[in-house]
Amino acid sequence: MAKGLVFLSLAILVILPTLQLASGAENEAGQYVQRKVEIWNLFFKMMTIAFTVGAVVSGTLIWLVWRFRESNPKAKPTKYEEKGEW
Amino acid sequence: MVVSGHSNWPEWIYVGVVIALLAYVGAEAWNVERIVEHAPAEAEVIKVIGQQWFWTFERADGTKEVGELHVKKGHPYKFEITAKDVNHAFNIHDYVILQDAIVGRTNAAWFAPDKAGEYTIQCREYCGLLHYNMRATLYVEE
Amino acid sequence: MVLELQKPRPIWAIMFSTHHTDIGLLYLIMSITFFFLGGALALGIRAELFLPGSQVISDSMTFNRMFTVHGTTLIFLFLLPFASAVGNYFVPIMIRYKDMAYPKLNAVAFWMIPPAGALIWLGFADFTWYATPPYSSIRAPGPAADMWIFGLKILGVSSVLGAINFIVTILKCKHPDLPLSKVPLLAWSFLTSSLIVLVAIPSFAAALVMLLTDRLGVTGFFDPARGGDPIAYQHLFWFTFHPEVYVLVIPAIGMMYEIIPRFSRKPIFSHSSGVFAFVLLSAVSFSSWAHHMYATGMSFTEKTVFMVGTLAAAPASAMHVFNFLATMWGGRLKFTTPMMWSVGGIALFFSAGAGGVANSAMPFDFITHDSYWVVGHFHLFVMGTIAFGSIAYFYYMFPYVTGRMYNEAMGKVHFIMSFVGTVMVFFTQHVLGLYGMPRRVFDYIPLPEYVVMNQIASVGAMIIGASMALWLFNMIYSASKGKEANMDDPWGLGGKYYWPHQAKNPHH
Repeated sequence: MAKGLVFLSLAILVILPTLQLASGAENEAGQYVQRKVEIWNLFFKMMTIAFTVGAVVSGTLIWLVWRFRESNPKAKPTKYEEKGEW
Repeated sequence: MVVSGHSNWPEWIYVGVVIALLAYVGAEAWNVERIVEHAPAEAEVIKVIGQQWFWTFERADGTKEVGELHVKKGHPYKFEITAKDVNHAFNIHDYVILQDAIVGRTNAAWFAPDKAGEYTIQCREYCGLLHYNMRATLYVEE
Repeated sequence: MVLELQKPRPIWAIMFSTHHTDIGLLYLIMSITFFFLGGALALGIRAELFLPGSQVISDSMTFNRMFTVHGTTLIFLFLLPFASAVGNYFVPIMIRYKDMAYPKLNAVAFWMIPPAGALIWLGFADFTWYATPPYSSIRAPGPAADMWIFGLKILGVSSVLGAINFIVTILKCKHPDLPLSKVPLLAWSFLTSSLIVLVAIPSFAAALVMLLTDRLGVTGFFDPARGGDPIAYQHLFWFTFHPEVYVLVIPAIGMMYEIIPRFSRKPIFSHSSGVFAFVLLSAVSFSSWAHHMYATGMSFTEKTVFMVGTLAAAPASAMHVFNFLATMWGGRLKFTTPMMWSVGGIALFFSAGAGGVANSAMPFDFITHDSYWVVGHFHLFVMGTIAFGSIAYFYYMFPYVTGRMYNEAMGKVHFIMSFVGTVMVFFTQHVLGLYGMPRRVFDYIPLPEYVVMNQIASVGAMIIGASMALWLFNMIYSASKGKEANMDDPWGLGGKYYWPHQAKNPHH
């Protein structure tokens, strides 16, 4: 389960930016290079990556908080607690 | 040294993914900067001078404008930006033009406006009392 | 150990003490005092920007002075001394030594800060915390500017003395049975950040003297009219203050490394990767200073080099985030106040880092540079990460310092309000920057977007302000009338860690 989640996260991290790369087509706006168009495009690409990674990281964080809180019915003492070595 | 005897492979994969993403961002940024940096040879030069707390625009033929700048749509312009007293920063946010105006130096930026209208020119580097109000207007005409 | 409020001593016995916990206590009280002073200025700034035009502040010069002193105070008189407070308390205990290596030097380093703070506050300079010439050398009104320069000079010396003390204490005074690889991560964070201070501070120290002589009219190092170069100052400044960002953030990460495993009831996932990331971060912190200067007319090559240097800092920070998440994974998390602040701090640390990576992309910097994006971005670090980690640690050390428990419910409300407020202020400021609002402005164009976003930010700031008032009340009330803490296990976690009250560090 845990490993599956790791793989899923990695898949999302690798595949989405690649798709983005493929679809980052050219935009023609007149005869000169449009500085604002190029730079804002870069911004939107970076935000796609940032929000994807952000969703994975904050999703993981929220899941961790929900799953491993001590009030969760499934919570059990860690093995370190049992051995008293932490 | 692994404290609790677990393996570290997820961490190395994670670091690899992070480095790959950073490399992608870096390469993309490098490419965009390369594309937008060089001004076309036919660009008309406008000298931009910042001083506390207004902008002066000077063309090659000697005509000057203070606090406003008139340009033609679809025509390339190259700004040569400098300052007289303290540092300022010349900014037309709508065209993503931003260069510091530094005393004793000339910085360049170029653009070819693609849409007629009025745009705000502002100072983006703190320059004292009226920094917040150091603005000019860019008129892009057909 | 000090239980100052339970076993009162006369105030001078603490003030003239050279014992590490007494100096830690002095640092703690002073830094939090300046936190409230600097925070009050922030509320003034946000109140002024609630609407375009002049609101609560009558003229722009007062406003400029306020944001200058706000920044200077919170960086140099809150964040740095707060880290020193924690370091003084815990580093000698963690490396099992009776005190800091040089107790008198330690006291000297502390007592340099109040006069420096007084110079900064009584002068109330206006040239921003960045004090860039030629404005700062030829136009900024004195004596405020000169007082600021002297204040910063003193603070720089104090930082260097403190750094020497931490390095010697950790490397030379640690218990012979304790190998460096087993030194706790909090102590490691002080070792690495102190090394950065030693390498970074001298260039700004030199720049300050040059700035002062420029102001006196004796020299023209940074004045183009006399053959100087204002860009040289910016290089000297950022060579110190980009690494300084890591000097601030590394101890805060170290504090979270103490709290997260404790409240997850697990050891840290990987001690060695934490150490590795600290050392890596302190090395790459010197490779990125000029990313603050993309717009000064740097060449394409220079920009590329500093972009790569900046991106290089991200993997180390990402390793810390991984380490935190992996430590929480499979734990049994107890969400008391310190844990909540730490977890909130991790989330905001990620947001700050992601914005930082985007910002290092050189063309994008021409949208964000000197706009509110930058303000939002670095506040996510200094407030969202460093202050959150520091406040987490404050709650964590509260029972050890006072012998009493803080009020848990108030602590949680403090966190929730501050977290919501931080998101409202600083995420909104990123968007404001994208809309092109410059930073350091007293007034703005009354665009509806600007007005709405400034109002969201101002309301968020007031929420943070209210939560901090609650914190102040909680601190004062709980320190004097709070429940007595169970000193062996204040949060009922079980296990054993660094319980400062068990350390046998007698006063000398």
